[in-house]
Amino acid sequence: MSPFNKKFKKSAHIQLVLITAILASCHKPTPHPQRRVFMRSDTTAPYNGVRSYYGDNNGNYSSDNEYYSGNNGYHHHSHLWYYAFRPYGHYYNGSYRRAGYYSGGLSEHANTGSNGFKGSITRGGFGSHGFSVSS
Amino acid sequence: MQRISIAPRNNWQAAVEKLGFGFHTTDIPYWDESAYYSFTLSEINRIESATQELWDMCLGAVQYVMDNNLYHRFAIPEWAIPYIEKTWQDDHPAIYGRFDFCYKNGHLKLLEFNADTPTSLYEAGIVQWFWLQDFDKSKDQFNSVHEKLIDGWKMLAPYLRRGKLHFSCLKQTLEDLTNTEYLRDCAMQAGLDTKLVFIDDLGWDNSSKTFVDFENESIKNIFKLYPWEWLLRDDFGKNILTDANQAFWIEPAWKMILSNKALLPILWEMYPNHPNLLPAWFDSHGMNRFVKKPILSREGANIEMVDNGQLLQSSDGGYGQEGYVFQELFELPAYDGKYPVIGSWVIAQQAAGMGIREADSLITDNKSRFVPHMIDG
Repeated sequence: MSPFNKKFKKSAHIQLVLITAILASCHKPTPHPQRRVFMRSDTTAPYNGVRSYYGDNNGNYSSDNEYYSGNNGYHHHSHLWYYAFRPYGHYYNGSYRRAGYYSGGLSEHANTGSNGFKGSITRGGFGSHGFSVSS
Repeated sequence: MQRISIAPRNNWQAAVEKLGFGFHTTDIPYWDESAYYSFTLSEINRIESATQELWDMCLGAVQYVMDNNLYHRFAIPEWAIPYIEKTWQDDHPAIYGRFDFCYKNGHLKLLEFNADTPTSLYEAGIVQWFWLQDFDKSKDQFNSVHEKLIDGWKMLAPYLRRGKLHFSCLKQTLEDLTNTEYLRDCAMQAGLDTKLVFIDDLGWDNSSKTFVDFENESIKNIFKLYPWEWLLRDDFGKNILTDANQAFWIEPAWKMILSNKALLPILWEMYPNHPNLLPAWFDSHGMNRFVKKPILSREGANIEMVDNGQLLQSSDGGYGQEGYVFQELFELPAYDGKYPVIGSWVIAQQAAGMGIREADSLITDNKSRFVPHMIDG
């Protein structure tokens, strides 16, 4: 082992708590798929009919195979089992449009879109610029 | 610094996906382990010390711009100046930044500083480290990104407002979400109470004059992977000034001075002939060989490289309306037709590691690839 080994890296062990938890949740069966709403509700999407974004009750899934949750609640597309952050979207005029990404790190309440009366709160005042901040 | 061609791991896609790295390939490969860059320890030491010194110089530049009222050079709106100065005087905390260097013929030159919304953090801190564990565990890497992020959040915690630290980015982009969730992961390991809310979903409560998340929870502290110049232009921008919580925004508003390429001529004016700086001005200043860069631009857009009056290379884009800077041309070195840029991270005020992005041309654009590195010699 050369003398500089581990000079810059203090430990060979790296732990990822959040991302590991998200990945682990991707393997778990969902007991009530019809009641689980995967999509983060947002200002552009309706709160109901969310299931149609991911697959219908017959286990059909989107044409580009981006995501699938079938009848039994397992994520069948094994390629995506390792994805911590999953795309969601919907069909519009016969074509699929990606609406964004979500992760298991989002809270249940945020995912379900259970907010009713928003009162004096307005949304959508940020985020109008750009598609990614990549630099 | 050498470029070594190697065979990628057979299962490299699955290996990186297991880390939660989902954007390794778009329409073109982004993560590229068909090669790595090899550095000697003395080269790494040099990059590390330059990063540390430049960070200190940058802090001096913030004060210099404020003292000399040079905001017009940065196209910063006047109404935002008192707030920027308040975040500086009140020492609003910052967590990270990335210096982009050209390393050629023994010279290490700063090309720009991504001080507000740097990306490729997850690739640099996690993905390339696990690549090294598979490739050659006995070797080291200039990489303490992960540890320094956790330590950094711990150090920063006492400065935050009481309450959660929200993390935010655009919802349309997997790359931004991965970077943001990685930062949140480290903050959680530092003991902070965190929550994710997309920037698109942030709300403004007009009765309490506060920002709220999607569950109407008041925002006290927020990390945003979203540039300040966009925040200010957005409809909610001016609400930041009237926010009753006076929430901490991370990165703080004073980073607007460092994330702007107008910083480059300011640094040259303050530290002329510094070995890690290239001559830079707000006009071509009689230079025969220069790069013209918009003060606000991303991913190598709207760049012009000029050599003796001839346009050597240029890129398209929608930037430039705020103005340009002119930096002496110092071309990236070519390795088998690939042009690497070194991205050196400063985290919690310390040099923390690096990542290398490689392009097929002198301009590093959004088609560049991330290539891992190791210390070997």
